[in-house]
Amino acid sequence: MFDRLRAFHRPATVAAALRLATAERRAGGRGAFVAGGTDLVVQGDGSLRWVVDLSLLPLRYVRRRGAGGGWTIGSTTTMADLERSAALRRFADGVLCDAAATAGSPQIRNRGTIGGNLANASPACDLAPPLLALDASAVIAGGAAGARKAAGGRRTVALERFFRGPGRPALNGGLLVEIVIPAPPVPRGGRAAWAFQKLGRLQSDIAVVNAAAGVIVGSDCRCRWARIAIGAAGPTPLRARRAEALLVGRPFDRDAAQAAAARAAGETRPVSDVRATADYRREMSRVLVGRALDECLERMGRDPWASW
Amino acid sequence: MSGASPPSPPSRRAVVGRRVRKVDGFKLVTGRTAFTDDIALPGLLVGRILASPHAHARIRDIDTRRAKALPGVHAVLTWKDVPRVPHTTAGQAWPEPSPYDTYLLDSKVRFVGDRVAAVAAETRAVAEEALRLIEVDWEVLPPVLDMEHAMDPGTAVIHDEPDATGIRDAARNLAGDIHTHIGDVEAGFRESDLILEREYRTPRQQHAMLEPHIVICWLDADNRLVIRTSTQIPFHVRRQVAMILRIPVSRIRVIKPRIGGGFGGKQEMVLEDLCAALTLASGRPVKLEYSRHEEFFMARTRHPQILRLRMGVKRDGTIVAHHMRVLAATGAYGSHCTTVQGNTGSKVLPLYRAPHLRFDCDVVYLTTPQAGAFRGYGCPQGYFAQESLVDEIAHELGMDPIAFRLKNAIRQGDVDELSAQLGEGKKGLPRTIRSCGLPECLEKGAAAIGWKEQRNGGVRRPGRLLRGVGVATTMQGSGIAGVDFAGAFLKANEDGSFNLQVGATDLGTGSDTVLAQIAAETLGVSLDKILIYSSDTDFTPFDVGAYASSTTIISGGAVKKAAEKVRDDMCCFAAQLLDAPPEDLVCRDNRVFAPGGKSVSMAEVAVHALYKEKTQVMEGASHFNTDSPPPFCATFAEVEVDTETGRVRPVHLVTAVDLGVAINPMQAEGQAEGAVAQGLGYALAEELVLDGRGRPANANFCDYKIFTAKDMPKLTTILVETEEPLGPFGAKSIAEVGINGVAPAVANAAFDATGLRFRRLPIRPDAVLAALGGRR
Repeated sequence: MFDRLRAFHRPATVAAALRLATAERRAGGRGAFVAGGTDLVVQGDGSLRWVVDLSLLPLRYVRRRGAGGGWTIGSTTTMADLERSAALRRFADGVLCDAAATAGSPQIRNRGTIGGNLANASPACDLAPPLLALDASAVIAGGAAGARKAAGGRRTVALERFFRGPGRPALNGGLLVEIVIPAPPVPRGGRAAWAFQKLGRLQSDIAVVNAAAGVIVGSDCRCRWARIAIGAAGPTPLRARRAEALLVGRPFDRDAAQAAAARAAGETRPVSDVRATADYRREMSRVLVGRALDECLERMGRDPWASW
Repeated sequence: MSGASPPSPPSRRAVVGRRVRKVDGFKLVTGRTAFTDDIALPGLLVGRILASPHAHARIRDIDTRRAKALPGVHAVLTWKDVPRVPHTTAGQAWPEPSPYDTYLLDSKVRFVGDRVAAVAAETRAVAEEALRLIEVDWEVLPPVLDMEHAMDPGTAVIHDEPDATGIRDAARNLAGDIHTHIGDVEAGFRESDLILEREYRTPRQQHAMLEPHIVICWLDADNRLVIRTSTQIPFHVRRQVAMILRIPVSRIRVIKPRIGGGFGGKQEMVLEDLCAALTLASGRPVKLEYSRHEEFFMARTRHPQILRLRMGVKRDGTIVAHHMRVLAATGAYGSHCTTVQGNTGSKVLPLYRAPHLRFDCDVVYLTTPQAGAFRGYGCPQGYFAQESLVDEIAHELGMDPIAFRLKNAIRQGDVDELSAQLGEGKKGLPRTIRSCGLPECLEKGAAAIGWKEQRNGGVRRPGRLLRGVGVATTMQGSGIAGVDFAGAFLKANEDGSFNLQVGATDLGTGSDTVLAQIAAETLGVSLDKILIYSSDTDFTPFDVGAYASSTTIISGGAVKKAAEKVRDDMCCFAAQLLDAPPEDLVCRDNRVFAPGGKSVSMAEVAVHALYKEKTQVMEGASHFNTDSPPPFCATFAEVEVDTETGRVRPVHLVTAVDLGVAINPMQAEGQAEGAVAQGLGYALAEELVLDGRGRPANANFCDYKIFTAKDMPKLTTILVETEEPLGPFGAKSIAEVGINGVAPAVANAAFDATGLRFRRLPIRPDAVLAALGGRR
């Protein structure tokens, strides 16, 4: 399958990984970074001449980011790590754990990593919607565009801008090393909830559509902040900003959720393929966003107006 | 049949009817070298096939000089290099009823994936590089992809070669047709109070067996061609390769190791001819295998069909007339074309005893992947249609679907005359029903699913999740009447063990275990005393192969006969030791007992025979049946329909099956459960999709969805045992029947839940959603 492969590097540091990749690129020929290999091996690109294996890099971690309630996640953290992380389970209603748990099979999740899941830039990437709903950013080391020496050669890209198109991450030859999740802006007395929804043809499947929602309400039960993200419904995972805007400033209830879901569906740009038609994907975007928002409502303690 | 000995009462049986472990289980779970690929041969070359990128094209010229010049390449074959012998790849008893329309290599290609050339090289990389160096001058022809227009005037002719034989009408792309009837359906319709006519469509399903097709060929020290292959039909392969390569059968030895699944996809000579040709051309051992991607479209599929059914009934629910019209696509070649479709009529229509039956069928060629044998062999298509229609009629009449089926179903003592008209490519034999547990299957299955409590009634209620239950009744056969036959051979060893040599092929079905159980029971020895070997054309007797649910009844029948002869021989020698007449002796517990209770061990008898009497106790026997006793099955499904996503989720599947006597109930349940998994895929997910140019759009497990452990609903399997006079120890069959009712039971359950009929498989969520009218 990889008949043309002539170099397999296994560096111990990010700097060495970047150095090796740069040297290989200069020498010519296609190559790739590999972590779990669950995409690279399946794709079986026979033109690869070199591979830099990331499994020895110290990037397999889930850490709190300061005291503010944010998180950093190393890019070789596996899907199984995320799925089982007790700390993440308590954060944002465990929305990242839930999403990670739907990717592939247990064997795939034991090998596949968050970095690989994102850096393949699949529109159906299961971690993208919850991370978009958490305003996450990608930290990229090295790469073209004049490596930013000031920040130790690292730059931070909002996840929304990380996805440029199917299979086109904004890496510019750099290496995705970390995901940064800021503390959600929950005001005093406010409540927050997140939820993830995925629809496949069968249980183990690439998403036909997936979606995540995050909602913060103030003590007045009005929505202060909303995030709606949808995958497999356009060339990249996307934020449904007009639907979000529909929620903010209004009481968050079932009607608002359904109206936002309908509007979110209108913001998708799905395609027809062997998995589903564009019309079906659009309709399922509405259903899944609606279900995610309903779940948020449930998690806030049912209808916030009930206690009013 | 079973000779002089009266059958032992079931309660007294020591091995048959017991849940013994598979005889090959240990080697499989410990990863021992059981399979075709589990050998290393010095000098083994890798074979690769140049697959056609076009659905329909002629090869004006092909230049292999650069490929041949590549270092490491040992053979490059095109149609110019090999004999042109029209044949069928269908693994059927000679003379095969399928048209001879296939060639080892041809100057024309008829589907995307068809063979253009083949290479044998030192490594896979070199072989693939050589494929890239082959230059083909194509004359691209119009593809023929729509079965409803394959016979239209002006359509490109797929088989325009002059030397094919057995094609019904090549100029119209008609591979075969069947027209048969009993009574007069038109008269029957005139007598009917209610007539319904409906159309059903079924998809191109792929076997998706765990082990793709694989062959390793070499020349032995005597320059004989050895073919080690993953096949259901070693003896047919030997005959077919001999014919295609024009070498004597005596120069070929076919070894069948353990097979990693087949489901009918290996009732077919798929790669053996080409691998053998590469070995002969290179003089070196060659391995040829399909990748998973290739397996999807370069192996075989189930025949897609469009079925139009018209049924007339009396107001009291009596079926008067049933007319089934089938249009089926065999793809590029006609392997199994009329026999699979014949089954759609002969094993489906007679389930209900209507006086007027008519079956009309056209099987057309398309420039698409080739169809072939597949578990159920035409029945899953026919039963999806028939059981859906019957359900609809019962609903129209206001009758309970179970009561409607019981009123009309075939029963013990009935003679199915349609089977006599639809044999394996010729007139068949009438089928007499000597055992039938269908009423009990329906009764027990209904109780298990909660038929009375769970039924919703086919009305759409409000709510997001709707539940309903459905039923389907089906039958199959047990071997092909008058065609299938098998041999078995047994010999005694001095420790009281016996070598059992059979040509039957265990492809995961558990037949090695079942056949060993039959031998052990008959000989009165424990299962560990039976050393079964299957199969090697040099050392085991002939067997047509593992297909048509035949192995237990046909191969098992041969084993029982051979074991009875060996038992009689052992008794003769034991008589000398026990000083008692041989006919008074009884074999059990690895011993031979005289009437007074005096006994000798089988080992003592064997030692006596070998070393004292200088006799090897050994016997062979052959067996065939002139009838094919049907197993009967009632399949119940409970489903949940999500009205927002259109997804139909199976919740509970009940299979109540009359399989005769279960030789191994544990394995029988496994067969039933496996059939449900494959049937659910057929009902809800599986379809090989082709694009507008005939290219496969989902030839991988990412996009061709089969049911996995996570998708499986609760399963209940109920074995309803009957005593079949034609089967060994009363056995019939279980391998296929369980798949037939799954799709219609699911569709009927979906109707019960929603009030909507789904007449196209697989039942896709978008279609369900559209039918529900959306919920915008």
